[in-house]
Amino acid sequence: MKLNGVQIDETFAEAFNMRGTRVLITAQNLKWAYNAANAMTGFATSVIGCGVEAGIERELAESETPDGRPGVSILMFAMGSAVLMKQLETRMGQCILTCPTAAAFSGLDSEDQISLGKNLRYFGDGNQISKLLPDAQGNNKRYWRIPVMDGEFLTQETTGMVRAIGGGNFLVLGQSQPQVLAACEAAIEAMKKLPNVIMPFPGGVVRSGSKVGSKYPKMFASTNDAFCPTLKGTVKSELSDDIESVMEIVIDGLTFEDIALSMKVGIEAACALGPDNGIKRISAGNYGGKLGPHLFKLHDILNGNLSSEAEKA
Amino acid sequence: MSALTFTLKAANNRNIDCKKLIPDYLQGKSIDAISSIVLGNQTVADVFDVQGDDATTLIFKNTTPQLHYIGYRMKTGSITIEGNVGDFTGAEMQGGVLICKGNTGERAGDTMRRGILLIEGNTGDYCASNMRAGTLGLLGSTGAYLGYGMKRGTLLLSQNPAEQATWLDCGLHTLPFLNLLYQSFQTLDTKFAQFSNRRVRRWMGDVSGLGKAEILVLQA
Repeated sequence: MKLNGVQIDETFAEAFNMRGTRVLITAQNLKWAYNAANAMTGFATSVIGCGVEAGIERELAESETPDGRPGVSILMFAMGSAVLMKQLETRMGQCILTCPTAAAFSGLDSEDQISLGKNLRYFGDGNQISKLLPDAQGNNKRYWRIPVMDGEFLTQETTGMVRAIGGGNFLVLGQSQPQVLAACEAAIEAMKKLPNVIMPFPGGVVRSGSKVGSKYPKMFASTNDAFCPTLKGTVKSELSDDIESVMEIVIDGLTFEDIALSMKVGIEAACALGPDNGIKRISAGNYGGKLGPHLFKLHDILNGNLSSEAEKA
Repeated sequence: MSALTFTLKAANNRNIDCKKLIPDYLQGKSIDAISSIVLGNQTVADVFDVQGDDATTLIFKNTTPQLHYIGYRMKTGSITIEGNVGDFTGAEMQGGVLICKGNTGERAGDTMRRGILLIEGNTGDYCASNMRAGTLGLLGSTGAYLGYGMKRGTLLLSQNPAEQATWLDCGLHTLPFLNLLYQSFQTLDTKFAQFSNRRVRRWMGDVSGLGKAEILVLQA
């Protein structure tokens, strides 16, 4: 299969079950909403070393936020609910509570609720104030007002937690490092417009794809040598002579369809640059289909079959 | 469905205890069953013309200060009072929304725990006395001993109350939280739905007791 002259490998991305949550961060203006959200989603590229994978989903207009201020929504994913709860509380306490004018609200309605400001309220040392207020649908939501030096820190008590998927991905293979990076940037720009997904790595792009295992017993994962261009002659390489650089875009999302659509949009944007701009191939990372329950087949996705039925077939 | 409406019969001039006329108690009851509810030594039918079928939303019309305890211990739904009423309006409220478009007597919101009580007119003495939590908004004037023994909760006033020794001035503030509060008013049929001013003077009290309650006085 080729897309705009770019070869699409007949392969798949292999993804895992995760737990996800969404938090709405508001502030006096977008600058400070971003300051809070960037801190909250910092050092959250991979669950392997960070506990969670998190990113900014999109900007929110004043009309979209509970307190009528500008904001951003963030998505956060972890391998289990306990880790997600712990990381959310820690990051709320260190990144949102501390950020001038920032407030935090639930961005997901779900049966499972996890603490957002529930325990942070004790920072108020007895001066915290609870408010149980109905939302537009008449459902009561509990908020906490915690006195802080800039005024009040306002936060909802809980946010929703849902089953989600992490590890959707595709690889961009090209003639040079700048060309591959440009294609990835184009892909990320297009993917950032979609809801319910984040690309948690720096700028949305990861250059250090890994394989399972290592020659060193203490290492669980090591560099994906089959896709390392400088090792072409010494390992069982996946790369042809004309490939000098490979970069990966990893996607976490709330549903299979969200990730599949994001991959489609991203691959199409990367391939739009075409072979003339050095983009040669699109591939994907997997473990042979044995570890992750979700398989995102590149050809199916690019043919418009975005449902998880494709995965079952 | 239309709101369950209680219109006071003009002939009545006795004090009436309306404790039982709350959504929590009336839901699932027929008009006949509601009409036969005993209020003191009278029935509902003796006192009110009753119309409508949605017991989650109550309206009181043609009201007088002889109607006491409207919204007492209500937990859910909404009550709108389209006139003046008597004492203990919204007393011991535990949820829901109670709107009074006229004046209330004494002890409005007494020992209130949760919910929203909005009074567009004036209140008598001891408004919000012993209030535990919740939100009480007031457009008109207050009587003496506002927030007497109030422990927690919020009083939102548009007029300055008389200063009291047991309420401490915490200064002027612009509170983003008020956006959230005002949004919860926006679906309600009340003048409070027009609120947008977040500039308030904050008082904390009643420091003769717990002292964790607040009075927010809107600033021009």
